[in-house]
Amino acid sequence: MKRRNFVETLGKLGAVALLPSLTVPYRPIPSLLIPMDDSQTDHLKAYGLTYKAIQNGLKAEWLLNYRGGSFLIPDLDALRRDAALNGIRTEPVDSAMTAVRGEIEANNMDAVPLEKAPKVAVYAPPNAAPWDDAVTMALQYAGIPFTKIWDAEVMNGGLRDYDWLHLHHEDFTGQYSKFFLIYSGATWLAEMVERNSDMARRLGFQTVPDLKKAVARTIRGYVENGGFLFAMCTATETIDLALAAHNVDIAATFADGTPLDPDADAKLDWSQAFAFTGAHIEPNPLVASFSDIDGHQVNGGARRQPLGAFKLFNFSAKIDPVPTMLVQGHRQVIPDFYGLTTSFVRTRLKPGVTVLAEEEGAPWVKYIHGDLGKGTWTFFGGHDPEDPQHQIGDPPTDLSLHPHSPGYRLILNNVLFPAAKKRELKT
Amino acid sequence: MTRSIKLALGLIVALPALAHTQAIGPGFELERSGRYADAAIVYTATVRGDPTNLPALLGLERTLFILNRMPELLPLVQNARARLPDSPALRSLELRVYAALNQLDSLETIARRWAASTPQSEAPYREWGQALADRRMWDEARRAFLIGRRALGGDGTLAVELAELELRVGNWEASAAEWGRAVTRTPDVEPSAQNQLADAPAPLHDRVAHVLTLPGASVGARRLGAELLLGWGQPTEAWAAIEPTLAPPDSDTPTALRRFADLASTLTSPEGHRVRGLALTRWAEMVPWSLGARARAEAVRELLDGGDKVGARRVLEGLTADSTAPTEAHTVAEAALLQVLIADGQLDVAEERLSAARTGLTADDRASLRLALARARVARGELDRAAAALGNDSSIVAVAQRGWIALYRGDLKGAMESFRTAGPYASDRAAATDRTAMMAMLQRIQEESSPELGAALLTLARGDSGQAIAALRRAAARLPEQGGRLEVLLLAGQVAAQKGGEQEPTATALFDEIVRAGGEGAAPAAAELDWARLLVREGQNAAAIPHLEHLILTYPNSAFVPEARRVLERAKGAIPKS
Repeated sequence: MKRRNFVETLGKLGAVALLPSLTVPYRPIPSLLIPMDDSQTDHLKAYGLTYKAIQNGLKAEWLLNYRGGSFLIPDLDALRRDAALNGIRTEPVDSAMTAVRGEIEANNMDAVPLEKAPKVAVYAPPNAAPWDDAVTMALQYAGIPFTKIWDAEVMNGGLRDYDWLHLHHEDFTGQYSKFFLIYSGATWLAEMVERNSDMARRLGFQTVPDLKKAVARTIRGYVENGGFLFAMCTATETIDLALAAHNVDIAATFADGTPLDPDADAKLDWSQAFAFTGAHIEPNPLVASFSDIDGHQVNGGARRQPLGAFKLFNFSAKIDPVPTMLVQGHRQVIPDFYGLTTSFVRTRLKPGVTVLAEEEGAPWVKYIHGDLGKGTWTFFGGHDPEDPQHQIGDPPTDLSLHPHSPGYRLILNNVLFPAAKKRELKT
Repeated sequence: MTRSIKLALGLIVALPALAHTQAIGPGFELERSGRYADAAIVYTATVRGDPTNLPALLGLERTLFILNRMPELLPLVQNARARLPDSPALRSLELRVYAALNQLDSLETIARRWAASTPQSEAPYREWGQALADRRMWDEARRAFLIGRRALGGDGTLAVELAELELRVGNWEASAAEWGRAVTRTPDVEPSAQNQLADAPAPLHDRVAHVLTLPGASVGARRLGAELLLGWGQPTEAWAAIEPTLAPPDSDTPTALRRFADLASTLTSPEGHRVRGLALTRWAEMVPWSLGARARAEAVRELLDGGDKVGARRVLEGLTADSTAPTEAHTVAEAALLQVLIADGQLDVAEERLSAARTGLTADDRASLRLALARARVARGELDRAAAALGNDSSIVAVAQRGWIALYRGDLKGAMESFRTAGPYASDRAAATDRTAMMAMLQRIQEESSPELGAALLTLARGDSGQAIAALRRAAARLPEQGGRLEVLLLAGQVAAQKGGEQEPTATALFDEIVRAGGEGAAPAAAELDWARLLVREGQNAAAIPHLEHLILTYPNSAFVPEARRVLERAKGAIPKS
């Protein structure tokens, strides 16, 4: 898979800044610019249109930092029709492209070719509605196809068929988001417990926590072998806890029949984790919090912190194209939103983790990225960028009411980022 | 941050002068700049010269904790406490040091020794438990508080501390039980209890409320439970919780009722209004007449808004018959009574009483009642009496109502003029939208008068939509295709679509006719959107999609395009059903 070379080659792209002739040569073919600044009428669907273009074998470009991270696609009737139907603003730019490329060359911008539509998998239970998860909502709204996979597919090697994997509110500690006692009696919880227990039995695991640890390890292997992982909400924190806990019981009695190891904190092996280190487990089974990785502790009673706003970092487009792609947006400061895991405490981050967005002056960050083996991972705290205080049972977010959502744009940046062409460095 | 550190930081802010005089100012400065080791040297030197210097000892507590050198503090604190054995601050500090050193046996010994020296005081147990809680040793902290409760006696002893501890741990029901004990013992802590428990997760609301309102619960606990239920949007359950605490009333009952009524004022549901009305009524019975009369009048409005006409009338009867009630209260009561009569359809009685009450009612009340009466007359088809009810009222609301009356008489020009004069601010937003929609239809019609259209619209206003559809189609047939016919047919189609069932084929036929006719007006795009909506409603999403795409691509500048896109998204399953 091409992604395996992607990170390496992009990592070397620092030199590209010194070699302007390496940028994509201008060919006078008719093009449509999809501006992504405030003139855009539907930012989220613009990603879908671009994806559709590359899915159909057409060439597209991502103009990083140019008018909010615009896209360039061929000027074809079918794409114009799609744009009109979806309310996406496009601008024919044939004669203006020379000036545009000049501006890109002279500033902290870059033009990244997009050439392969990534195959997207979303880790979710088979019966989960798309509205349970911000990423599936964004994909559904933008018209980007995806496949739902779950434990059986992961454990049977199914991940190799996908370029990009998304995790959302799965609790990889196997404790049902620690809602077991708080929501006891709720039908949805009973179904969740039954579904997970059944899957563990089918796959030969004694307990659900054992199964989830194995799934977490398989996902880690997928990333090491070149996969792109994007996780939000609880999945970020719990996949690292599950990985670090490969030799220790961190699950409460209700989840696996045994109490958690009283020395669990000391026995965690953080070398296995993606992003975090040195965290302490929340031992109380009644508190729907997993550890002190999350800065906001939404269900932590008096420990709960209020929401602020997070700010995206600026990166050098020509030297650091990967983080630059991940932070493309038309707003730099975005209102924060809660999730079971909302943010990541700075002191719990491993050295080398790239912070993409933070709340200034706060002890936590919001959006992080890193490499593992041949692949990459990105963690984004919170549940739903347009429903800052989401509660169980709340109506789903209707993205047609939020077509300019800067938070959802960050999610879609992650979907298109694996589509970027790997550029070999001239020597 | 531990409580001691918070306390000490407070001291830094509050007592700089004191710090200066005690020659530890440089210590604070060093500490503030992050030079903890140097600050500790200054604090230690101060303590050597003045062994009981509390700010310096607290400074050492902060800095040595950060430097992981807490064992150095213990002998200094022990020395200070020996010199001032009655100082609660030094005793507390000693406990915190033992807790920080994780010497739990010594901590307990010291706490018990302190308790023995002040046998009636909660402080030793409170500080013991807090020191453990600050170290996140929940079970040990709970044990300390409960030992204190047993030693001192009294169900509510240390209840606040236990309630807060349980809250920190996330044990909402246990916290509620302790808050219940706390408010029983000290009613003044009720606002704190309400504030803290209000954040309980939604699935636990019933359990928390149950703990506070179960049989045998104290008056204070039940009232706390009632307020929480109100805050969680359960007014009926809240009233059921508080009502048994009202009789016989105690000295706190009026205050509790008033607080309950004030909290209920944030609710907008009919039940919320009704419960507030009930609370105000009961409160009015407990306070002097001057206050009670106004509350009764307010209660009537709330009960009416809550749909409890019987309750409202009961209060009104008492109020209007009471000659000792203030004039203002009489006026409010009279207005409310007239409102009830109009809502009950007793229009003649209301009209008569409205004329007689001319001097008593305020101008605003009179205008609002006249309008309500006019609308009720229109609903009966009594257009002349409706116009008479409005009198010579020149308010924009009355002008708008006159516009509707003119329209129903077939006077299209007069209706248009009245609607224009009334502008967009008469009545509420929905009424303004209705007028705007009607003006959009009328402006396509060249004729100044159309009795057929007026009659059809009156039929519609009176709620006979089946007859109205047929009447609108007949009226449309008399109009030119691009001169209002399509707009009137669109209205007929919308009414048919809304009625559904047997009328759906009629709606489809009407929309089809309008779309095929096309033209420059808004009707074709609107009809295509309504047609698509009807198909989506019938589950024919695939059939709806071409209509929506046709609309978007054919009328790209139409105001209906954004909504068409939303319906298209829904038809394609790209957004959730709402």
